[in-house]
Amino acid sequence: MSIWLGLRRYWQRHRQLNQSWRAHRYIALDLETSGLDPKTDQVLAMGWVTIRPPVIDHRSAHYFVTQVNPELKQSPVVHGMVQRDFEAAEAPQMALAQLARELQGAVLICHHVQFDWQFLQRFAKQYQVKLQPLAKFDTLTFEAQRLHQQQHHIARGSLTLKACRQRFHLPDYAAHHAFSDAVACGELFLAQAYQYAGSDDAPLKELLK
Amino acid sequence: MQPDFAELNRFLLDCPPFDQLSQEQRQWAAGQIKAAYLNEHNVDELFRAHSPALYIVRSGGFDLLTPDGALIERLESHDLFGFPSLLTGRGVVNKLEVIEDGIVYILSADVFDQLRQHSRAFEHYFIRAHEQRLLSQQGQRAAPANAYGDSLQRLVSEVVTRTPIGLASTATIQEAAQCMRDEKISSVLVVDDERLVGILTDRDLRNRVVAQGLDYGIHVNAVMTQAPATIRGQQTLLDALTLMTQENIHHLPVLDEQDRPMGMLTNTDLMRQQKSEPVMLISALNKAQSRQALVDEAQHIPDYMHSFALRMNDAAAVGRLLASLTDTMTRKLIDFYEREHGVAPAAYVWLAFGSQGREDQTLSSDQDNGLLLANDLNEQQLAWFAGLGDYVCEGLADCGVPKCPGNIMASNPDCRRTRAGWLERFTSWTESPTPKALMYCQIFFDSRNVQGNKRLYQAYREDVARLGQSEFFLGNLARLQANVQVPLGLFNRFRGTESGKDSDLVDIKRHGLALINDIVRLYSLHAGLTEPRTLARLHLLEASKLLNRKDNQALAEAWQFLTQLRLQHQLAVWGTEQPKNALDPDDLSTLSRRQLKSAFRILKDCQQGVSLKFGRTG
Repeated sequence: MSIWLGLRRYWQRHRQLNQSWRAHRYIALDLETSGLDPKTDQVLAMGWVTIRPPVIDHRSAHYFVTQVNPELKQSPVVHGMVQRDFEAAEAPQMALAQLARELQGAVLICHHVQFDWQFLQRFAKQYQVKLQPLAKFDTLTFEAQRLHQQQHHIARGSLTLKACRQRFHLPDYAAHHAFSDAVACGELFLAQAYQYAGSDDAPLKELLK
Repeated sequence: MQPDFAELNRFLLDCPPFDQLSQEQRQWAAGQIKAAYLNEHNVDELFRAHSPALYIVRSGGFDLLTPDGALIERLESHDLFGFPSLLTGRGVVNKLEVIEDGIVYILSADVFDQLRQHSRAFEHYFIRAHEQRLLSQQGQRAAPANAYGDSLQRLVSEVVTRTPIGLASTATIQEAAQCMRDEKISSVLVVDDERLVGILTDRDLRNRVVAQGLDYGIHVNAVMTQAPATIRGQQTLLDALTLMTQENIHHLPVLDEQDRPMGMLTNTDLMRQQKSEPVMLISALNKAQSRQALVDEAQHIPDYMHSFALRMNDAAAVGRLLASLTDTMTRKLIDFYEREHGVAPAAYVWLAFGSQGREDQTLSSDQDNGLLLANDLNEQQLAWFAGLGDYVCEGLADCGVPKCPGNIMASNPDCRRTRAGWLERFTSWTESPTPKALMYCQIFFDSRNVQGNKRLYQAYREDVARLGQSEFFLGNLARLQANVQVPLGLFNRFRGTESGKDSDLVDIKRHGLALINDIVRLYSLHAGLTEPRTLARLHLLEASKLLNRKDNQALAEAWQFLTQLRLQHQLAVWGTEQPKNALDPDDLSTLSRRQLKSAFRILKDCQQGVSLKFGRTG
């Protein structure tokens, strides 16, 4: 990449981050994995949905099962996925390519984004797909900071997606599934963002601090 | 690949009318929905950008306001709004104010129209909701009638099949007897110009002709029962059973829609419905040969009624049936008393008041009764009736109908009066009403003759009706009922009616059914009606200028809905210590909750109407 191209990209990004957070597009995403280690464990399924604040549009909902023959470790317990689900698996390449297109210029949102991002990057690399979101937003980190600023003691279990949602009076979702968790995470993001920056047109970079 | 939207599907299944859609339709709708996080910063913009649309509240709280800021309704989870504009095509004028941030689902006009086109149930729901007629949708029926229903839900016309056998009123008694012999029937219709004028039975021939030594050549109209009780072909066998039990008759002429005789229904026809609990119960009660036998039989009533009610889809029928069971037991007890103490020494009427009088009894209803006595009784005769009152009230209590805590019972000397005595009592209530007296006296206006002299009762009832028309009295009643709180608080939310740990509960009897009864009673007192049953009163009030048709129908629907809801609740808490008439709205299904709100809103409106119409006078 030439220096000029790099500079231009940097400048573009800088400009975008200065625009109102509400003008941006967000992708709320959740992965199902066979374990906790991105180096050894696999991505089994991914679900995501597009958000243009304050709307989550179900027509942009995606759910892909990405492994035909997964090594199931504890995942069936966590996500309730069984062998049958994997028979409908689609080529990961296609799913990743679609995700890459949608992430272009958008902000990726996850609950514990570092975890999902490490898995995603390795997974994408495997299929020569490049994922380049404009930025990443972590609903978990945001919540930890928020509680910390309010001088709350952060008790064990108080940062789970469920616990965070309860503090914003969002409904309890029973299902644990990559798609419903992606929606749950997206809703939490909207609640956090509007509470933090609803009244003024804060630039996106404020939200990402 | 599209996700399965399992979470949203589950929510929609609990959110009528989406539960009426097919699996595929609901799945499709879920994929078309937009979810918005609604808060004060984006509410106006969002509403502008997406309307007209159907909005479904998933979480949070929002107030729907008219353009000038008056509150229409507070919206909470599972509430729908925005559809009136979709249905009428008129612009959106109402505003939304955020009380608590939350998620609202948006269904665009296109998607809404598609669903309407493909699901009648979906379309009907919104049309009814728009017309504020949600209560006409009785979706909560306990069980399908035809599959498992009681055979007593069959129509009278299905059972009465042979062509009616009738005679002119100028036929002779002998001709009538020959006709009954030839046709092998125990009763015959007396019909002039296709109109039923009377009925003649085996028993009439024995009691009124042979025993009296009458000439067989005289006309049947001299000995027939004139203007007998009748039933229509479109009513159910249960209606017939109730009527026959209450009137204490065994033959019931059946009329068609044009009042032409269709045939005769006899108690034998009913007894053929062997498997039906009510028939077995009533015949078992009637067969009891002693007080103890009657009490023993009566112990089965709760269990029988429980299984019967589970199969009934007309909750009001259960109340009517219980009233006729109480009537039957009362008559049997009077009969036993007469066997021990000789027949009644004078004309009298056993009066049923309150829920037995209105025929909306439940298993927890207590006794409300009294005696209407002939004038100028001596000490001995009075003692006979005092004994009767004690005997019957004790007997009923042993049969499971609890004694009245307010002592409105024939065992109380105050409730055994001559016609003049009762009138004096009513006059004291109508002319100098204390709130407590007013509350009690309403019970007395809902009366029925269970046993005794019909003419005496009729004269008494007409006197009472005249007293009830006093404007001063009606004004006081109107003010009394205006004090009853409808359990809808500000913003149309449910408000608990109880205190202490039950503060979330809503008493649908005291603050619902009883209030409707009170409102309807006011109108019927004003109109001078002598009918005690609430639905029948409303029917008679259809021509009233004071109560318009729409309110009349709304009150009837609200009454039926609340009766159904109360029955379901009572079946659910059967045998537990939980309150019989108070329930937690949060435990109801979404549709029932919306309907309950709708019923209370009707009550609130009608309550205000009553205050305006009657409350100013006096």
